[in-house]
Formats: sequence, structure tokens, C-alpha cells
Amino acid sequence: MRYGGNTACVEVRVGETCIVLDAGTGLRLLGNAMAQSDAPPPERIHLLITHTHWDHIIGFPFFEPIYDSRVSISIYGLRRTQPSLRATLANAVSDPLLPISLESLNANLAFHEINHTMCFSIGDHIHVSAAQVNHPYRALGYRVESSDGILVFIPDTGPFHTILFSDERVVWTGKPAPLSVEEQRALARMREAIVKLCAGADWIIYDSQFTPEQYLRFPHWGHSTPDQALDIAREAGVRELLLFHHDPHRTDAELDLIGRRYAQQAPPGMRVCVAYEGMELRREH
Amino acid sequence: MDIQFWGVRGYVPTPSPEYLRYGGNTCCTSVTGSRGELIVIDAGTGFCQFGDALLEGPFGRGEGEMIALISQTHWDHILGLPFPAVVHVPGNHLTIYGPDSTRGSLGIIYDGVLSPVYSPVYGLANIGATHDFRSITSEPFSVGGLTVQALPCSHQDDTSSIWSYRIDEGDSSIVYFADMRYANAQMFNDAADFARGADMLIHSAPYTRAESMRDSAHSRVEDAIEVALRAEVRQLFLFHHAPSRTDDQLDELLAHYRAELAAQQSPLILEAAQEGVKISF
Ligand SMILES: [Zn+2]
Ligand SMILES: [Zn+2]
Ligand SMILES: [Zn+2]
Repeated sequence: MRYGGNTACVEVRVGETCIVLDAGTGLRLLGNAMAQSDAPPPERIHLLITHTHWDHIIGFPFFEPIYDSRVSISIYGLRRTQPSLRATLANAVSDPLLPISLESLNANLAFHEINHTMCFSIGDHIHVSAAQVNHPYRALGYRVESSDGILVFIPDTGPFHTILFSDERVVWTGKPAPLSVEEQRALARMREAIVKLCAGADWIIYDSQFTPEQYLRFPHWGHSTPDQALDIAREAGVRELLLFHHDPHRTDAELDLIGRRYAQQAPPGMRVCVAYEGMELRREH
Repeated sequence: MDIQFWGVRGYVPTPSPEYLRYGGNTCCTSVTGSRGELIVIDAGTGFCQFGDALLEGPFGRGEGEMIALISQTHWDHILGLPFPAVVHVPGNHLTIYGPDSTRGSLGIIYDGVLSPVYSPVYGLANIGATHDFRSITSEPFSVGGLTVQALPCSHQDDTSSIWSYRIDEGDSSIVYFADMRYANAQMFNDAADFARGADMLIHSAPYTRAESMRDSAHSRVEDAIEVALRAEVRQLFLFHHAPSRTDDQLDELLAHYRAELAAQQSPLILEAAQEGVKISF
């Protein structure tokens, strides 16, 4: 077992500040690590959620700090007309789906609904901005910027060939539906904003779930290939691309091959790596 | 009957090295009758591998039929259902029995679970296989040569509804108790009656009595053993392992309780359910 089987969760530490990107099953391990550490748990945890598909929230009720009254958790996520971010999480964890409720948690929770035009600061030294990505029912990507480096997190997005972010489900008929000029413009604008979000980043963690063959069969699922990730990384001039959100069927051996192939394709000055569980990123000064 | 474990973990999947032998997927067990009848009990993440294994046969061609028995609507018993490809192959047919809940029937619960905020499926209507949800009752019913019986059980403060299942084929029988709690002596009696003489009892047992300060809502290892002894079942499989319980700890736990049974000269065979293991009788 090398790359790992837990779903999306990335911890970002800037000094004492603790930011968590998405709440997949990996969040349980982060909570356990905090509980086992000699250091007290962080007083405040900033949880940035890209979207509320199950693989991005399923770890939340199993994150020990939510049962700790010393902890405050600020939860950020996409603003929708409805349901609210709080209601989305509350409905997922309460009866009859789980025996808890947000009110019963000891930690103090604060919800912050944001959209892709908003930037905000965490403390006075970390700046967060967001972009909308091409994923069913809309999702965000985040840029977290501090003097320790710039990290961009886009775990789920398709490429920019079909509109996947409307309210309606896209039914794939085997060939792409013709796009109006307005739709083409919307996709181009979205792509541009994503390249801008990634511009000059030290690391981008980017959806590369699919092989090119899989993408052709499931373009409506809202996931990318390593090639599509590499295109964005190249245009944005990033230092390191981390391939992420591996397909559940992708074996370690296949990921080894993918890692080797795309490491060779990286332009000069850029590294491409396959993200694995337990991996740590640090800017060399 | 062939019984196969696809997911044996309770609460949340634990895909880490220290759980690889017993397995980290959440609840899913399949029962195949001698005429090929297919029943799956619970659809936690183990259901993904179960579904993939079916692709080779009629399910790959859109000619598959299965019965799912859902014990309760907690995540670790239902969230695997929409993932495997076979569920999206038109022509396949799923009949899903399970409890009604405070938020409505099982079909309504699944429609919510698959709604676009949570799932790219955008609702139950977009599952490609035909599907038929039925409210479970205590009335026995047949699936080919198998007879299915259900027993209502309690959990937490009884807000959510839990059902246990028994499947008989000729002289063979398997009983499944998931995530229940024995609130009183009557429940022990009812459980023992329900499991009477079974070849195989699969019983939720995430914690021991000494550990259960942590979680009073689930049956303990000792409860499972007591019911198995009173019901005179042939073998007991501890199931719904706690996420904190590593492979080595499960080995130890098993050795401890086997020694206790041996000291009592009990004929009960004690096992811990293990992902991938298949039992035939
Ligand atoms: Zn998603
Ligand atoms: Zn995802
Ligand atoms: Zn359970």
C-alpha cells in the first residue's frame, strides 16, 4: 500500500495557523495525528471545502477535534441559493444518516459561504482566493498564499470542453453537444480564471483522475487527465504539479508509470509528481 | 449457500496498512443461493468491490438481478450503492429492502444521498439499473429457494430504525445483526430466538464491554458471544470492527475470546469477519 486509499484531505500549516483543504476520509487520520501529538490541538482550524460531494465531506464526523470544546472550526465553502453550506453538512450527518447533529458537537463551528470573486485573509499573513471549476453542480478551487509559498488546490475539475457547472445534470450521448458562442466564452473565461489562480504557484494539486481513454468515455463526470493538468500547470508557470484525486481503480503500479511518464514531460523548471498519502511539501529556501 | 465478506468495518472506511488483512471497507456481505440467487446485505463501501466482481457475469450484460437488504441508513451501510458500474448498466434490476426512517422511505433517503450537492448522479432517477425500494417488515419472503426474515432492533435512542436479517436455504442458515444495542433482557431473548441454530451468525461487535464507555450505542463483543451461545449457532463472525481496531489487535481479541470459549469447552467457532473471505455450507 503506497499511494493510499483515503479520499481528499490536505493539511496546510503556516506557522501556528492550521488550514485543512477538504474533509475526505483522510481527515480522520489528521484528527488522530493531532490527538496523538504532544502539542495541544490548534485552537482554530480553517476548513476550506471545494464542494460537498461525499468523497470531500465523509471524514468530517470522524475528525476528533469536532468533539473538543477547546477548538473552533471555521468552515468555508461555496455559497448557493440553497441549501446553505451549514444545512448541507447538517443534513449529511444527522438522523437517519448518522446519529449526530452539528448542534451536538463540542467544537465551535462557524460557516463562511464564499464565491469565486471573493478573497479573504486568515490571520494577517495568509491570503485565500478561489475560482470556480468545471465540475457537476459547481465547485471551487483554492489558492492559499503566504510567505511560506503559494499552494493551489483543485481536486475536482473537468477540462473546459463541456459545461458541467449548470444546475442540470449533463447527459452524455457519446458525442459532445454543440456549444453556443456564449457557452464557449463562459468556458474560456473559467479556464482563464483557473490559470490565473494557479499563476506562479509553488504547488498545484490538480485533478488527474482519468486516463485519456477514460476521459473520452466519461467527459461528463468532471475530472481531468494528467495531460490536461499539465497544460494548466505549464500555462500558469507553476513550480510543481501534484497529480491528485486518483481513480479508485488506479493501482500503485499504474501510478508509478504515470509518475514516470509525466515527470519526463514536465517543461524545464517544473516538477510533476503523483501525490501520495503522507507526502509533505515544503519550500526550499 | 456461499457467504462472502466485501466490507467488515464499522463507521468509516479505514484504508491504511494496519487494517489490510481484515480490511477497511464498510459493511457489505453477499449471500448466494445454490440456484444462483443473489442477496447482498448492506451497501457500505465494500459494495464497490462486490459490484465490480459482478461485471464478468450477467450484470455486465445488463441481465443481472439482485436483492439488497439494508439494515439501517447510516453511512457505513448505504453509501457504496451508487458507485459500481453495474448499478448504472440498464437492464440490471435491484430490489432494495430497508427501513423507513424519520425522513421517509429508503428510496427518499437514497434520493437525498444522491442529490446534486452530494453526488454527481443528481438523484435516484439517474441510476441506470431499474430499482425497486421496499419497506422491510417482519413478514418472511422468498428469493428463489431462499427464505428471508427480518427482525426490528433498536439503536441509539430509537430514532433510527435497525433491522436484522436471517436467510434460510434448506437446513442452512445465516443471521446478520448489524449495529444494534441490547437495551434489555427481552432483546437478548428475541435475538437468540431469531438466530436459533444458525450455521453462521454475523454480529456487530466494534468494542468490548470494557471499551464501550466510548460507544454505548452498539452491541459489544461479549453480547455477540452471549447471543451466539444462547442461540446455539455453529460459528460466530465478529463484524463492524471499530476503525481504531488494527489487524494485530483483532488477532489478539480473537485469541482472548477463543481461549475463554475453550475454557468453557464451548463448541462455538469464533471468527472475525475478514474482507474477501468466502464461506460455503
Ligand atoms: Zn466531486
Ligand atoms: Zn472528488
Ligand atoms: Zn454501522
